[in-house]
Amino acid sequence: MSIHAAYFDGKTSRRYRVVLTVEGDVASISGEASRRCPLSQLRVSEASRHGTRLVTFPDGAYLEIEDREGFARMLAATGHTDGLVSRLQQSWRATLLAALAMAAIIALLWRFALPVAADLVATMLPSSVESRLGDATMQALDARLLDASRLPEEQQQHIRTRFSTLAASTADTPHFELLFRKSRIGPNALALPAGRIVLTDELVLLLADDEDALMAVLAHELGHLHHRHMVHRLVHGAAVGAAGMALFGDASGLVAALPPLMLDLHYSRNAEREADLYAAHWLKAGGLSAASLAAALERLNGAKDDKPAYLSTHPATAERIARLCKLR
Amino acid sequence: MSAILPATDTPFPDGQLVMVEPVSFTGTGAEYFRIWITNTFLSIITLGIYSAWAKVRRTRYFYGNTRLAGASFDYHGEPKAILKGRALALLLLVAYQLFSEMPGLLAGALALLLIAALPWLIWRSLQFKLYNTSYRSIRFGFGGSVSGAYVAYLLWPAIASLTAFLLAPMAHQRIKRFQHSESRYGASRFCFDARVGRFYMLYLKAFLVFMAGVIVLGLLLFGLQVALGKRGMALEAYGGTLVFMAVLYAWVMLMYPVFNAMLQNLVWNHTAIGPHRFESRVAPGRVAFITLTNLLAIVCTLGLYMPFAKMRLMKYQLESVALLVDGSLDDFVADAQARAGATGEGVADLLDFDLSL
Repeated sequence: MSIHAAYFDGKTSRRYRVVLTVEGDVASISGEASRRCPLSQLRVSEASRHGTRLVTFPDGAYLEIEDREGFARMLAATGHTDGLVSRLQQSWRATLLAALAMAAIIALLWRFALPVAADLVATMLPSSVESRLGDATMQALDARLLDASRLPEEQQQHIRTRFSTLAASTADTPHFELLFRKSRIGPNALALPAGRIVLTDELVLLLADDEDALMAVLAHELGHLHHRHMVHRLVHGAAVGAAGMALFGDASGLVAALPPLMLDLHYSRNAEREADLYAAHWLKAGGLSAASLAAALERLNGAKDDKPAYLSTHPATAERIARLCKLR
Repeated sequence: MSAILPATDTPFPDGQLVMVEPVSFTGTGAEYFRIWITNTFLSIITLGIYSAWAKVRRTRYFYGNTRLAGASFDYHGEPKAILKGRALALLLLVAYQLFSEMPGLLAGALALLLIAALPWLIWRSLQFKLYNTSYRSIRFGFGGSVSGAYVAYLLWPAIASLTAFLLAPMAHQRIKRFQHSESRYGASRFCFDARVGRFYMLYLKAFLVFMAGVIVLGLLLFGLQVALGKRGMALEAYGGTLVFMAVLYAWVMLMYPVFNAMLQNLVWNHTAIGPHRFESRVAPGRVAFITLTNLLAIVCTLGLYMPFAKMRLMKYQLESVALLVDGSLDDFVADAQARAGATGEGVADLLDFDLSL
C-alpha cells in the first residue's frame, strides 16, 4: 500500500515529492528523497477534518499527507489507533456528553463548593484586612456619594441610643458602628465590611414618623454584617469572575464579564433575603415586629421604580414584603 | 491556488515575476467547537492541569490548518513546559494578591518588581512561541537580546507615558520593530521597514475614524431624540445621556478590532523574509462587522457560538495575508544552534498578553 506525500528533511525548507510505502513494520519513502524507518519510531499527528496529517521522524523531519482517506486506510492496515482525546474530539456524541457533564460540574461547584470556600476565606481573613477593606470603601463613598450629615446632633444621638438599647437585648448582634451621612443618591442605608452601618439623612427624614421602621432598616443592615455578606460577595465575585474569564475570555472581556455579573446579582438578591430574615428575628427578639421592615420597604419603594428582577441587586419589594408577612 | 503576477510594486524593482501565495485556513467552527468542549471539560476535571495539554492541542489544530504554499505550520510546545510556566504565573498572582494586602511600601515594591520582570517574561515568551513554531520542518526563532526587550517593553512605554503619550506611536513602532526584525526563520532574519511616520499616520487615522464615529453617532441620537420629542416620547436628559454613553462604549469596543486590523496591515506590509515580502489586506470595516456579529451571536447562544466566532475571525485575518514569493521557498536552512527555554510562555499566557504575532 502506498500514497503520495510531501517530505521535509528538517535541514532545509525544500518540499520533496515522495511516495510513502508501508511494508510490514517499516515505512519507506521514495521519489525525490528516500528513507526508511521502523513504524514504531514514527509519530502521527491527530486527525482533523480538513487539515493535513504529519508523520514525524525521530530527527524532526516529517511527511505531510493531503490524501486523508488513503492515509486513514494505511493507518488502519498498520493497526494504528488515534489517542483517546483525539477520538473524543472527533465525536459529536462525546462532545455533547462532555458539555452536559461540564455544565453539571460547574453548577454543582457554584451551588455547593463555592459557599463553603467563601465561608472558609471569610473566617480565615485577618480582621485587619477586613477593616482596611471597610476603610477603603468608606473613603470611596465619602469622596463620591456622601457628604457630612445635616441632622441635628440630638436626633442622631436619639437614634443611636434607641438602636444600641435594642442591640443590647439580642444575644448575637454583631459588632457595629453607626454613621450618619447626607446622600447624593437618595434615601439608603449601607453595611460595610468590618461593621460600619451608614444611614443617610434622606432615609431618616423619609421614616421620621415611624421610628420602628427605621430600626427595622438598621436591623436589615445588621443582618448583612452578621452574615458577612460583603466579604462573601467579594470571594464569590472573584471566583465567578475568574471562571468566566477562563471559559469565555477568548471571545471578549465584555462577554466574559456578563455571566459573572448575572451571578453576582443573583448572589446579592439572596443576601438581601437573608438579611431580611435576620432582621425579622432580631426585631422580634427586641419586642418589635417584622411588619416594621415591611412598612419601611413600602415607603422606600415609593421613592423609586422597579427594574426587571434578574437585573436587580435586590429582590422585588412585593416579594420581600410577602415573605416578611409570612414570618409574623 | 497560486497566481503569477507581474511585479508592479516598488519592492521588486527589477521587474521579475513574483508568485502570490495566499495563506489559507481550513479550521472550522464545528470542529473547533468539539475540541474546545472536550479540552475544557478535561481541564476542569483535572483541576486545570490538563489545560497545558489543551493549549498544545488547540495550537496544533490552528497551526496544522494554516497552509501556505503547499505546506502547513506545526507547533512543538511541550505541555510540561507550559504547565511549569502557568504554575509560576499562578504563584506570582497569588503572591501579588497576598502582598498587595500588606502596608503600602511593600505592595509598591512588589508591583515594581513585577513590572521589572515583565519584559523578561515577554522575551522568554517570544522565544518559546517562535522556537516552537515550524514551517516546512524549519523552526522559527527569536534572536532579540534581553536588553533589547527591556528597551522595547520598559524604556519606550515609560518614555511614552512621560511625554503624555505623544511618543506612543514611536514606542509602538519600536516594539513591533523589535518583535519582527529579531524574528528568525531557520537561519534567516525577518526584516521590518515600517518607519515611525507610518505609525503616527496609523494613530492619526484611527483617531479620525473614532471621532467621525462619535460625531455620526451623536448626530443620529440627537436626530432620534428630536423625532421622538415631536411625538412626546423623548428620553429625559439622564436617559438620553445613558443611551449615548452605552452607544459610545460599544463604539470604543469596536475600535479595538478596527485598530488591530490597521496595525496588522501596517506591520505585515512592511515585513519581509529574504527576498519575499508579506502582504496583508484586512478591511477594518469587515473586521468590525465580524466582531459585532460574533458578539451578538455569542450572547444569543449563551456562549456556545464562541468557538465558531473564533474560527470565523481567525480565518478572515489569516486569509487576508499573502506571501509574495520571489524565486523559491526551498532554500531556507535550519539554524543548528537555536534553542529556547519555556518559562515565559505559560506566564504570558495566563497574564493574558496579546503579543499579536
